[in-house]
Amino acid sequence: MLDKIRYFILRALRNMRQWPFLCSASILTMAVALATVATFFLVVVNVEQLAARWTKEIQVVAYLQKPPATQKLAQLTNKLKNFPEVESVNYVSPAAAMQRFKKHLGRDASLLEGISPKLLPASFELGLHSAYRNQEGIATVIEQLENTLDVDDLRYGQKWLKRFNDFAHMLRFVGVILGGFLLLAALFIVSNTIKLTLYARRDELEIMALVGATMRFIKIPFMLEGAIQGLIGGLLSLVFLTISFVFIISRSLNSFWLTPTDFDLLFLTVNQQFILVLAGVVLGVLGSLSSLRRFVRI
Amino acid sequence: MIQLYNVSKKYSGDAAAAVKEVTLQVGKGEFLYITGASGAGKTTLLRLLYAAEKPTRGQILIDRQNISRIRSRQIPFLRRKIGVVFQDFKLLQSRTVYENVAFALEAQGKKRYEVSKKVYQVLKEVGLEHRLQRKPLELSGGEQQRIAIARALVVDPLILLADEPSGNLDQAVTFEIMDLFKRANARGTTVLLATHDHSLNQRFPRRVLTLDQGVLVGDQHPL
Repeated sequence: MLDKIRYFILRALRNMRQWPFLCSASILTMAVALATVATFFLVVVNVEQLAARWTKEIQVVAYLQKPPATQKLAQLTNKLKNFPEVESVNYVSPAAAMQRFKKHLGRDASLLEGISPKLLPASFELGLHSAYRNQEGIATVIEQLENTLDVDDLRYGQKWLKRFNDFAHMLRFVGVILGGFLLLAALFIVSNTIKLTLYARRDELEIMALVGATMRFIKIPFMLEGAIQGLIGGLLSLVFLTISFVFIISRSLNSFWLTPTDFDLLFLTVNQQFILVLAGVVLGVLGSLSSLRRFVRI
Repeated sequence: MIQLYNVSKKYSGDAAAAVKEVTLQVGKGEFLYITGASGAGKTTLLRLLYAAEKPTRGQILIDRQNISRIRSRQIPFLRRKIGVVFQDFKLLQSRTVYENVAFALEAQGKKRYEVSKKVYQVLKEVGLEHRLQRKPLELSGGEQQRIAIARALVVDPLILLADEPSGNLDQAVTFEIMDLFKRANARGTTVLLATHDHSLNQRFPRRVLTLDQGVLVGDQHPL
């Protein structure tokens, strides 16, 4: 048994050495195909992550009809904090609102001289947990707010939120469609390259069948060869991916004007890297297997 | 050893059958020629014998095994009893002489030490033991055909089928090749040699089957 395994591995390696051009073509095709799909995956993941960062800014501001009394303020604050959707509660008194306004006006703050802070409404600024930073989450919070407070007005960036939701949906949709196409194209190219390499070696397959080799004996070295090529292709695609990450993805995303300065770009996790290399192996084996079916006739 | 009963083979798309109603018996250790003009059905008949084709009609028995409806899974085991030699040698150009011959034994799952011993023996027999590490293209046509014969003989086949083995060779080399076939036959291998070279039979008289448009029109035994 060990002798057979050793023979199959040696045969696979010897075949690769005897056909260096065909072997390199298969490896490179797999590497480029996998790197393309993985680069696209990284772009989608990072843009989604970027989009998730923007939603941190989402908050609901409830302007009150009149400022609550000090005792009631603590009660209300606690009540709001107990909403499952709410992450943070910040009470802005009319005086604090005036301070902010002045700061905002900067040099023109003198325009506000003589104006009573009571003119500005008190408000609660509610930060939301990430899972509720969407239209449905906000609708629930608003409903509860209206039952809890004497609300004069509510602000939560309605238009912006709608646009953001549309954008996120589109991103996912385009991601799935384009990713699917890329994957299909990669599979098609890889399986055709392997088919070509086997076509060039059809004499070998024919002679093997002629001298009494069983189907299994013919197929195993070719499948092993596919697996080894896929493994090398997968590892090479990781190298290509690192290069495209450093020189293309990070540069283009970092130069994007909406990217926060402290935004850390995501690369593949160790598990995802492992999956990428494994995908290479699977691609190699399946590509060989499907092509062998066509060329090996006993 | 070989029995054919009313065997016909018609390829799809062809108007006429390539082999028609052939009935014959070949005993163990016989040596016979299959002759006929091009397209007479010699190659088809050989292909039927090593199960590269299935007969459209009739029965074929090889070593008492009916191969007319043989399952694909069993074909490799049938072929281990049969050595085949072709006009165009069918050698792997990217492999050495040793590897080409060893291939047949490796395909049968033989152990490494067994393989190297047998390959050396058979190459010595065909006079090519000094060319072990050469590639086929570095050798002459006659030498390439001798490698092909060595590959066919290395498995000690019960039957040796040769399809125009001397088609690409000059007469001196052809006679050397014939000598190898005769020696294999003397050891008990049944040999069927398809050829349209009548000089072979004149020099080495043996039983001759003649095919004409797929029909077996002659079966002459040597006097």
